[in-house]
Order: sequence, then structure tokens, then C-alpha cells
Amino acid sequence: MSLIFHGKNTMAAQLYKTESGRLFHAGKIAIITVGLPARGKTHISRSLCRYLRWLGVPTKVFSVGNYRRKAMGTAGKLPQNFFDFENQEAAQSRRKIAKECLKDMISWLEAGGQVGIFDASNTTEERRKEMYNTLISEDIHPVFIESMCDKQDIIEANIRSVKITSPDYIGWDREAAVKDYWKRINNHLGHYQTIVDTSLSFVKMINAGERIIVNNVKGYLQSRIVFYLMNLHISPRIIYFAQTGETLNEKVQKADAELSPDGIRYANNLKNFLLNLREKEKKQRIEEGWGDEDERTLTIWTSARRRSYQTAKPFEDEGYIIEQRTSMAELNLGVVDGLTIDEIKARFPEEYERQQQDLYHHRYPRAEVIC
Amino acid sequence: MVGLPARGKTYIAQKVCRYLQWLSVSTKVFNVGNYRRKLHGAHQMHSFFDPHNTEGESARKEAALEALKDMIKWFLEEDGTVAIFDATNSTRERRCMIIDYCKKYDVQVMFIESICQDESLILQNIMDVKLSSPDYKDMDPEKAAEDFRARISHYEEAYETLNEMKNESDYTYAKLINVGSQVMINMIQGYLQSRIVYYLMNLHILPRNIFFSRHGESVYNLEGKIGGDSKLSPRGRKYALALPELIKANLGDQPLTVWTSTLKRTIETAKHLQYPKLQWKALDELDAGVCDGMTYEEIEAKYPEDYFNRDEDKFNYRYRGGESYRDVVYRLEPVIMELERQQNILIIGHQAILRCIYAYFQKLSQDDLPYVKIPLHTVIKLTPKAYTCQEERYKIDIDAVDTHRPKPKRPTDVSN
Repeated sequence: MSLIFHGKNTMAAQLYKTESGRLFHAGKIAIITVGLPARGKTHISRSLCRYLRWLGVPTKVFSVGNYRRKAMGTAGKLPQNFFDFENQEAAQSRRKIAKECLKDMISWLEAGGQVGIFDASNTTEERRKEMYNTLISEDIHPVFIESMCDKQDIIEANIRSVKITSPDYIGWDREAAVKDYWKRINNHLGHYQTIVDTSLSFVKMINAGERIIVNNVKGYLQSRIVFYLMNLHISPRIIYFAQTGETLNEKVQKADAELSPDGIRYANNLKNFLLNLREKEKKQRIEEGWGDEDERTLTIWTSARRRSYQTAKPFEDEGYIIEQRTSMAELNLGVVDGLTIDEIKARFPEEYERQQQDLYHHRYPRAEVIC
Repeated sequence: MVGLPARGKTYIAQKVCRYLQWLSVSTKVFNVGNYRRKLHGAHQMHSFFDPHNTEGESARKEAALEALKDMIKWFLEEDGTVAIFDATNSTRERRCMIIDYCKKYDVQVMFIESICQDESLILQNIMDVKLSSPDYKDMDPEKAAEDFRARISHYEEAYETLNEMKNESDYTYAKLINVGSQVMINMIQGYLQSRIVYYLMNLHILPRNIFFSRHGESVYNLEGKIGGDSKLSPRGRKYALALPELIKANLGDQPLTVWTSTLKRTIETAKHLQYPKLQWKALDELDAGVCDGMTYEEIEAKYPEDYFNRDEDKFNYRYRGGESYRDVVYRLEPVIMELERQQNILIIGHQAILRCIYAYFQKLSQDDLPYVKIPLHTVIKLTPKAYTCQEERYKIDIDAVDTHRPKPKRPTDVSN
């Protein structure tokens, strides 16, 4: 059985595809991050990329930091004053690297990409104006996302949990790495210019989403992006996935069958297992010094099908909240619902052949498709 | 709501209310102006609104308190979820009073401030909406406009925009500036609040038309069967040929985008239209599950209990292995959002789908939604105006079967 994916960056939803391969007639968009180091730019870039790809939009992150590491090595190998603003030579090589990165993003967008995310500091008006002009001339719509933070503890936490484990600091002493990173931030501080040009399309995220300013943002995808950013947070949490229990009629999805006796036993075991697991996790957090006020509530989400709700019932009996969501129902199998693989091969040989070629996009008659 | 008069607060309040109700969130607007008119009568001249007029001031505060009281009553007694308090609330003092009042009843508060710096927009608003308000009934329009502008200056005198003095930083609010060209969001908590802000960002006030039509008569329509993916009948094909002329006559050279579902019959119907076309799976007909491809008689014979239950509560009833109207409403939400953002659109869809979209624009209840008449071979044109939607229907002279099933009258004795 061979699976053919249409390129790593394209999980295109058949729903909204247009002739150009892009979605919603939204054209080519460049998201440009803006902000001092340790302000969450990469976190925003990566999360946004993941969300958009899941929606079926061809998206890719272009990280200037990664380009710099590839071209010049990690922070340990760089000269001491590489990030000093006054260091002309270093500034020139940084500009060259950024230009490379931008060129690559533009070619990728030309070749069929839809949203390119340019992850870099871009902290001066001059830099941003330059990028804006370059992108507009290539018929790409730029949207700037500026991440600002004035809460020391958020920045410190960011540095400790993310920065010093980055490739730049492999092998470094922890505290030395933290100090070095603060130095890097301070190098930028004096020359940082927040976005003031209201003709630009931009979003300012302040203190991890406490305040958000949206300016001149137009377009379906762009407003979808802002919606996502409104919901992005940095609080720690865990997501668990579990299947529904065995039903009385495993063959036919549409029958909306109830759980079999084995299925009911599974549901109870599942509840016991998960609650024990959470106790263990909580103990571990206390040992690591997080304190036991960190009481994280658990909510159960199920589909609207009987088997899903019944699998969750033991949790409800223990006082947990269950939310039923119709959007989580199993894939509608259309005409092949209730058939075995051999029966499908016999009755719909061409469809079966086509499905094996492309599991992600293939749609049986009257059925839903994964994408 | 927060904002000077004629900034579109009531328009926003009504739109948000409509959107949330359509998503089955129990929502209600409490318009303080109406309370003021009830307590102290309409025809108040602008001096009533002078902040130095203590009598006017206390009378207006009384109206606000009455509205607040009713709002809390509605939350408690009628299980409301979202109340929209539609008033200027333009001073910090007033907003503080609202927060304190709501805190006592554990009600979360979110402010939506509408700021407008475009003089022509404000004037347009005054002309379109204010002069037809009960406050200015039987008055000369020019005098009315003058009086209203004087009213606005009184409010301007005492106006404090949200967080002007940085003392409202822990309030949850969204500031909309110049119809959403800039939006400032502060301390948004929760999915519903972010959903509301997302919705507001997609609204515009440019004039446009929305056209609905079902696909032309299909083979299944002729056979009385529901669901399926059949082709058009000969009469249906004639309808597809007649459509372009009707649309052209209505729109002239204006741009239009055509939306269809992914089922054959809508795509076939759109075949001769010379506009950009988009297919949406989200516009596919309501999934009838195990009943797909059956006639109503066959369904009544094979699943009599289901048949009865559907008539009892058509909005919530979900076909086995299929969908309910409620499910369809949820899956249409991105379509509605996109409709708000766009300008001229023609949707060629299916009966259940169009009922849901139509009900959204015409503010129909969930009880009425499943029984809206959307006949075949008819184009419905909606033109959104200030607080309502103007409607016109154009029936093309090609016969088709009637697929409408009215709400059955309950017999007194159900045993048979």
C-alpha cells in the first residue's frame, strides 16, 4: 500500500481550493513577526503554522535564526559582539542572511505556497518598510505581528524554558546562558522601534495576549489568524485522546449503536486509568516545585454519538463535566458503511484502487473525506 | 456597549444578538433609550441630555438602573446567557456602576466601544436612523438633525473613552475604531468573547445584495426522494438556462460571486452563469442518514417513530446516522461569517441549507426555521438595511414540484 502526500506543506482541503491551489481566494500572504528576543515570536509562528496547515492552508515558517545557525554556526561559535548594533561587519552579514531567507520565502510563495511566516526581530521602521515594499512588488500581502512584553517574569520564564535549550546554547552552563541571552536582548533595546505606521496591516500582542491591537487587517484568512491569536495562551496544559468503547454493532457507523458489555468495562477502566495518571502527574508537579494550587480542571469532550457519550459516562458520574460536540462525529463512510474490505474490493474496485493511491483526499460516494 | 450617539452601537448590538441567537446562545438586547422613553416620554429636547442638567441626569440614570434590573431578572428567571446593554455608558463612573452591579450577580462584563472619527459616516447615520426615531416624530428633519447634533455635543463634553486614564486596564473590552479599521482588544477571556470579537471584525456597512436560489428541479425531486446526488430534470435544466438573464437584469455590471455545494444538482444549475464560482462542502444538503434516498412515505413506513418525532421537533431532530437542522446551523457558521465579509453573492443551495441562512438574515426563530418556504425555481434577493433586511422574490416561469411539508396539525387523539 503506497501513500502519496501532495508535498509536506500541502494538506489542501478540497473545500476551499481555487485554481491557483490556494484557498478562499485569499492570495499570497506574508506574516512578519516583530519584537525583541524572548517575546514569543517563534512560539506564535509555529503555532500559527500548525493551525493554518490543519485548516488546509499551505503554510511554512522561514526562521532567520535557523538560517543564521546554518550559515554561521551556533552562538558558541560566534564572535562575542556578533549581536552588537554597532558591529558593522556583523550587521552586514546578518542582513545578508535575512535577505536570503526572505528570497526563499518569496520563491516558495510563488511556487504555490499561501502563507509564509517570516520569523525574525524586524525591530526597526526602516527594516519593515523595506520588507513591505519588496513583498508588495511581488504581489504578496504583508501582515506584521508584533509581540511586546513588559512583564519581567514572563520574559525570564521564556528564557529559562525555551532559549537556553535552543541549539545556540547546547553544552553551556545554565546561568551563563541566561546571562548571555539578557545581553542579547539589551543589544536590541536601544534601537527598538515599535510599529506606528497605521497604513500597515498589523497585530500587536501585548503580554501574551492580555491586550491585542488590530490595525487595518482585512481578508478572511487574516481575520481567522487574529481569531486564533486571541485564543493562543501560554498556560501549561495536557490533552488526552482516547477511543470510544466497543459497540453492539461494529460494522455499521450510521447505526449509532450503544456500547457492548466489553465496551462498558473499557469505559470504566479508562476512567480509573486516567484519574490515577492525573494523580501521579500532580505528585510529580509538586515534587518539581510547582505547588499544589496548580489544580487543573479536566473537561471531557465527546461527539454526539451514543457510543462516545457512553464511554465518557463514568467520568460524569464522578462529577466531571462532559461537553458534546457534533463536529467530533466519526467520518461518514457513505456507500461503503457496513462493508468489509473484501466486499468493498468486490463492489467498488475502481474506488478502492483510487483510495489506496491517496487516503487523505479520496472520497467514497456520499462519504466524507479526511481532508 | 460604549460610545457617543450615532456611532452604530445599536446596529452592532442587534447584529451580535442575531449571530449568537442563531448559534443557539440565549441572547437579548436591553436598550436604555427605550426605557428612558417609557419612563420619561419621547420628544426630549437636547437640554435633557446636558450633563449639567441634574434633573435630566437623574432621570437618565433611573432609566439605566431599570434596564439593569430587568437584565438581571432575565438572567435569573429566563436562563439567559448573553445580555447586550445598549446605551452610551460613556463615563468611567457609569461603567464602574455597571461592573459593581453585575459582580453582585456573578455576571461577567465585556465592553464594546464604537469610536468613529469620520464625520460623513456619522452624518449618514443620523440621517438614516436617528431622524426616524420616536424622539423626532413629526419634527422638521433639519431641526431634528440640529437638535441631535446638540445632544451629541453634550455627551462629548463628559465622554471618557475606555481606559483613558489607565484605570480600567483589568476590564474586558474591545474598541472598534472607524467600523473596524482598528480594533483594540483587552483581557479577552473565553471562547465566546473571542468569537464575538472575531464576528465584529468581519462586519462592514457597504451596500450589497445577497441572492438565494435552490438548484433546479432534480430527478429525485420528481420521484419524491430526499437526499442523494441526482442530476437535474429537463425542467431543472431549463431553469439553469434562465438564471443568467434574471441575475443580469438585477445586477447589471456589478461584480458577483456564485457559491454552490459540491452536489451535482447545484453545480449543474450554476453552469451557465458567467461569474466566479466557489464550491463549498459546507453548503451540501442536510444529511438524512439512513433515510437518504427514500421518499417520505417510505420513511413513515420503515421508521414510524422517527417520522413522528421529526414532526414534533423538526429543528432538533437528528436523522439516524445523519444531521439535524441544529447541526446544519453549526456547520454553516463559516459560510455566514464569509457572507458578512463579502459583498454581492448568489448562493445556489438546497432547501434545508437555505432555510438556515435565510433564517439568520430574517431573524426567524428555531421553531419557524424548518418551515420557511423556499420553493424551487425562485430567486430570493435580500438587501440588508440599518436594522432589517429588505426582501424580494422572483419566480421564474418554469413549473416544478412542491417539496414543502407544512407543520402537521396535532390530532387530538394520536393512537392509530
